[in-house]
Amino acid sequence: MTTVEAPLKNVDVDEEPIKRFEVNYRGIFQKTLAYRITKDLVYIAHSDGKTAFSNGRYSDDPQRNGVPCANFAFFSDGLSEEELEAIASAKMDIDRADIVAVLDDTMVKGLEPWGHYGIRPINEKVVPGGTLLVISRRPPEDLVQFLEKKPFTYNLAILPGEASFAGLWYYRDDNTDVRVLGAVARISPEIISLDKAIAYVRKTYKNDEKVKALEDAYNSTKLSVVSANDGIVWPHRKPVLPAWNEFDEGIVVKAAPREFKMGPRGLGRNLDYKRGTSKTQRPVVRFDICTKCTLCWYECPDECFDPTPDGLYDVNYEYCTGCGRCAEVCPVNECIVMVDELNFKNDDSPWESFKKDPQSYTKMIEEKKGKGRMMPSHVTGKGESMSEVSKPVPFKVERGN
Amino acid sequence: MTTEAVLKDVYESEELLTGTDAVAQAVRLADVDVFSAYPIRPYTGVMDRLAKFIADGKFDAEYIIADGEHSQFEIAKHASSVGARAFAGSSGTGWLYATEALAATATDRLPVLALVGNRALDDPGAFGVEHNDAMLVRDLGWLIVWASTAQEALDTTLIGYRVAEDPKVRMPCAVAMDGGYLTHSQHMVKIPTKEAVKRFLPPYDLGKRRLHPDNPISIAPQVNEDWGMEIRRQNWEAAKRAVGVIRKAYDEFESIFHAGYPNPFFEEFMTSDADTIIVGMGTVSAAAKTAVRQMRKKGDKVGYIKLRWFRPFPSEELRKALSRASHLGVIDRDFAHGGPDDAGVLFTDISSALYRAKSRPPVIDFIAGLAGREVSIEDVIAMFRKVEKAEEADVVNWVRVREKSNRGSQGNSSGGKSD
Repeated sequence: MTTVEAPLKNVDVDEEPIKRFEVNYRGIFQKTLAYRITKDLVYIAHSDGKTAFSNGRYSDDPQRNGVPCANFAFFSDGLSEEELEAIASAKMDIDRADIVAVLDDTMVKGLEPWGHYGIRPINEKVVPGGTLLVISRRPPEDLVQFLEKKPFTYNLAILPGEASFAGLWYYRDDNTDVRVLGAVARISPEIISLDKAIAYVRKTYKNDEKVKALEDAYNSTKLSVVSANDGIVWPHRKPVLPAWNEFDEGIVVKAAPREFKMGPRGLGRNLDYKRGTSKTQRPVVRFDICTKCTLCWYECPDECFDPTPDGLYDVNYEYCTGCGRCAEVCPVNECIVMVDELNFKNDDSPWESFKKDPQSYTKMIEEKKGKGRMMPSHVTGKGESMSEVSKPVPFKVERGN
Repeated sequence: MTTEAVLKDVYESEELLTGTDAVAQAVRLADVDVFSAYPIRPYTGVMDRLAKFIADGKFDAEYIIADGEHSQFEIAKHASSVGARAFAGSSGTGWLYATEALAATATDRLPVLALVGNRALDDPGAFGVEHNDAMLVRDLGWLIVWASTAQEALDTTLIGYRVAEDPKVRMPCAVAMDGGYLTHSQHMVKIPTKEAVKRFLPPYDLGKRRLHPDNPISIAPQVNEDWGMEIRRQNWEAAKRAVGVIRKAYDEFESIFHAGYPNPFFEEFMTSDADTIIVGMGTVSAAAKTAVRQMRKKGDKVGYIKLRWFRPFPSEELRKALSRASHLGVIDRDFAHGGPDDAGVLFTDISSALYRAKSRPPVIDFIAGLAGREVSIEDVIAMFRKVEKAEEADVVNWVRVREKSNRGSQGNSSGGKSD
């Protein structure tokens, strides 16, 4: 992977004079934001004499909290709107895109928007020479370790920033909308030019701060090239859709296995829809200080906790949606803490890792936890707030034996 | 005055709107008095947009949220009977849940306008487009029209009110549109000024049929064998009169807005010298017309007809347009299991109309795009190829149904939800 000044050109041997843009976002939380982005892109392209339109992925609606969703926008220099629609938008989902934008970097670990489709790579639709655009504070290496290997090179663009919640029901503006426009102008002047984007933002918002934010994003977007075979062999299975005469009549599907045994993954769970890609943070458990009070297991709305023979509760991260309820109800200070999902490479059982080597497990998770903590309102009594821990709670030796 | 100057006068702006946004704009412009609502995708977009218009002070109407679609359409029917311009809408099985009210709205001859955002019936939760939902009222005395672009959705809503409320008609009107592909897709739409709409759409006046304390009447008392047949006969007459009223409404719409609907009932695309014609309804027309353009470049004499008005069914006009061709195909985004030849609803209607034609070209059917499955340009080209040899083809052809599982066909990065 190498850092570059200008993006690699789209080398797709594609005779269609069409550009496709996809934005992946967290359902509900970023809905309004994502719509503003695709809408503004279309308006700017129109102001430049292009044909353009946008749509949302219909199957995402009605959206569920955090579940990955997508919006699309299509651009053409010569086609009529009708032709553009016929070519680009005959399907509910698209199968390739020149730019795949990601509004929350934890989505680079994969997407499971719908049942039966498994967890799909975020770069699945990027065309050769196309661009994956991620809003993130991370270096490119951190993101590429989660991406599926491609047989071709493409660009990775990073727009420095955090996952924005500006689009939650009402619109609390943090300029992420125009910042994404700036990044797109940098990546693909064929979609929108910087000049037209500035003119549009100035006219629409009548606010110099927004223009400045756009220009800043244009300049600060970091580009690098992902080589063929950078990334990982995709670990998740891809869906198999049967022929019309290969499944039972009457829309009958197999129930999730109804089973329970003590220990990790001991509970029967739905194999066709796991929902784990909905989370931006995961609960990390200090098994050494757990009092076995059962509250996490009892309160988890997704039944992600598995009782273990020693009375502890393992977490099945494949099914955890990161809602934070367990961390909220856990009565023991520092026992369950929500931590950035990108700090973790896999969904392996934390309890097994703890049993194997209690001390190094505890050391490992304390490193990943870092110092910052979100304090829930029922603890502070004055709403949510951030605090810092000076040093980790000491390892409790007796539990480790 | 130049056309451009005229347009400046009748359009207030051009905005990026979804199909449901466009209908909401039309409802605002038509100054609807009562809007009854109950959420179901894809119709819900209209509810959201109208709620926002009212909250923003841009629209003044009674916004009544019902406890289900049955009540929702009862509310619209009753509002219409007291002289309020009424709007409602639904999709899929929600629309079916209202069926009792829908049937009575038609027999009571109340010009409610309803948006039907077409949705499949109802494999658990299936939301993709299928036309069977709107078609379920096809025999009940509803006017049914399909819009296939966001602009057409806005225009057709205004035209729908004009036709439905005409004293010669007074029938409820369903404006149908493809769920997802039109309801949730954003396109640039010209929005007329309120003044221009006022010129086109006179105030709703139910005359002496208006239910009001000053006009003591009772609507729809018990009807038995002694009255029922005559009532149906009256309603049939209204349905026949609707044909002329539709024509006049489009003429006047054209003279004010220059919107480009030379034939109200269906749009003919490159059919004048076409040997092979395919007929369809809804958004499939984008792929179909693009397919025709591509095939014409290679010298194929093909054409496409996009049917708008499904009820009243333009039998005479279609016979004229279709019997010129040597081969015909029909795209049904619907199904009619166990019906004649196991064909779709539209095919059965068209075949039936053609039976009376002097020249009857062979016609075959394509069941396509069910539950929102895509219909691509290549699909339509393949359909044309089959239609050209209609004599040798099956009467009914299912398009893009999975005859083989996709097991084993999965390369690296094979694409999205492809089949």
